[in-house]
Amino acid sequence: MATQTRTKTGLLSGDYTIEQKEAILGYLLVAPAVLLVGAVILYPVAYNVYLSFTQVPISPEQSPTWVGLRHYRTLLSSGAFWDALTNTIVFTFFSDTLATAGGLGAALLFNRRFRGRRIARGLMLLPYVAPLIAVAYIWQWLLDPLYGLVPYVLGDLLGLGIGQLDVLNNAGTALWAVVAFDAWRYFPFAFLMIIARLQAIPADMYEAAKIDGASRFAQFKDITLPELKYVLGTVFLLRWIWNFNKFADIWLLTRQVQTLPIYAYQTAFANYNQGQAAAIAMVLFLALMGFVLLYVTWILEW
Amino acid sequence: MLKTILTTTVDGFRAAFGRGRIETSPLERAVFLLAVGTVLLVSLFPFYWMVVTSFMPESAIYSLPPTLVPTEFTLDHYESVFSPETFPFVTYFKNSLIISLLTGGLSVLVATFGAYSFARLEYRGRGLFSRGVLLVYMFSGILLVVPLFQIVVWLGLVDKPSSLVITYLVQTLPVSLYMLGNYFRSVPPEIEEAAIMDGYSRIEVVFRITLPLSAPAIVAVFIYTFMIAWNEYLFASIFLRTQSNFTLPIGLDALSSGFHQVWGQIMAASLMTSIPIVVMFVYLEKYMVEGLTFGSVEG
Repeated sequence: MATQTRTKTGLLSGDYTIEQKEAILGYLLVAPAVLLVGAVILYPVAYNVYLSFTQVPISPEQSPTWVGLRHYRTLLSSGAFWDALTNTIVFTFFSDTLATAGGLGAALLFNRRFRGRRIARGLMLLPYVAPLIAVAYIWQWLLDPLYGLVPYVLGDLLGLGIGQLDVLNNAGTALWAVVAFDAWRYFPFAFLMIIARLQAIPADMYEAAKIDGASRFAQFKDITLPELKYVLGTVFLLRWIWNFNKFADIWLLTRQVQTLPIYAYQTAFANYNQGQAAAIAMVLFLALMGFVLLYVTWILEW
Repeated sequence: MLKTILTTTVDGFRAAFGRGRIETSPLERAVFLLAVGTVLLVSLFPFYWMVVTSFMPESAIYSLPPTLVPTEFTLDHYESVFSPETFPFVTYFKNSLIISLLTGGLSVLVATFGAYSFARLEYRGRGLFSRGVLLVYMFSGILLVVPLFQIVVWLGLVDKPSSLVITYLVQTLPVSLYMLGNYFRSVPPEIEEAAIMDGYSRIEVVFRITLPLSAPAIVAVFIYTFMIAWNEYLFASIFLRTQSNFTLPIGLDALSSGFHQVWGQIMAASLMTSIPIVVMFVYLEKYMVEGLTFGSVEG
């Protein structure tokens, strides 16, 4: 590209160099995206910080009144908040671990060639792709206490004696049902990430290990796992972030599990305490950021 | 589904017990096939159960022991799903379709411009913009729920589908920009430069060369955005008020809490809700690995 080429035609009148024109075009093209993100994400996030220090009136005509740290103090002294936080951590940890482990297992299986691998792989992605509302209902139906297949198989066939237990309407069991549901729904995501990395491991590493007489297990421990360390760490972190913020998956399956996002939602739209809800969302965000920072420094060693 | 499981298993057997690998023992092969079969069964059985239940007569659905392989089929559930006096499934479907198509279309437009700018044009602040947009990805829906609701109320956009379209569009932008930007960078710049040398303007080059070459990525972005909009529950549940404006997730949710023991109809509605997504997915599978791996609004 010749610099300082003067042209009098084209996009804009006046004398501009090609570089200047390109820059102007660049700004013009990126403007809609940047403005939208600023207006619909950045501004609301800042506004949420402000709202968390205010009492938001129910009628939109009145403006919020400043209450300082009151919502935060209320939260820290409320049992419901700590329960919700515990539920969030338990749900996130177990659903994340199961989904990552399931993804790793499936990736190791599908790393071998077999006939029909492509179609099998496509079918395996279905839980991840199908609409949430549909799979949530399928699970509700499978777990239906009267005619559901799962209670029948577990109770009547295997005699585990849970009989007519209503898994999704019992606070003790509902949490584990949601953990299982999310692990089932998102293990294909972990699978996709892990298999991509797995197939990039050079075959001659294994060849060399075989010549040295390393067992299958030794090959897995000394080659596969170290090579996958980074992708496993990343998958676990991404799923942690998403599961920590999960709302609809839990809400549509059962109303018996209260995690922080659900607690915030109910506070905002059932009790109409929007300022308090903004504070819950802030605490959720800060707790998550704290975890991410710790994780990135200690586990991933970035 | 069942047929696929069978053929996959048979294929697997052929592969394992036919010619080929000498180093694996029969036991090992059997264990391997059993494992693949188990993974597929766990993944697919719920979908099989959805399809079967949606065609089962009431008497078979509500009986113990459950019938795994039904002998009678009925279209009753589909009839009631499609009859407006029973419940407005068609309305919900239409609303979801309009919102998802609009979101997909707008997303392609805004993301194409933005991603081209990030990928090809030099200007100050480019790196800041492109990295900043990705950072935005860290903010979850729940952090935006209260402020966006306040803003939507203040703007008088409550119960208007447009408020949802804008919300979904912006929430999917980071991933759309990332996907398209990566693709644009893979188009050799020499092609564009040659065209500019030939006297085409930058805009003409984008429309005549870059976009046609990037068609697969653009389709992938459209489908990804469509899927997110099709699925979204949180914002739809707080922005929409009247039933005639409901999208599928909230409409079906309202239905299931209002009735009891209507599993046949609910499975039929779930199947109809899944069809557009599954059709798109079959088309997208090639690009899926790249795009969707990066996740979704709330992954």
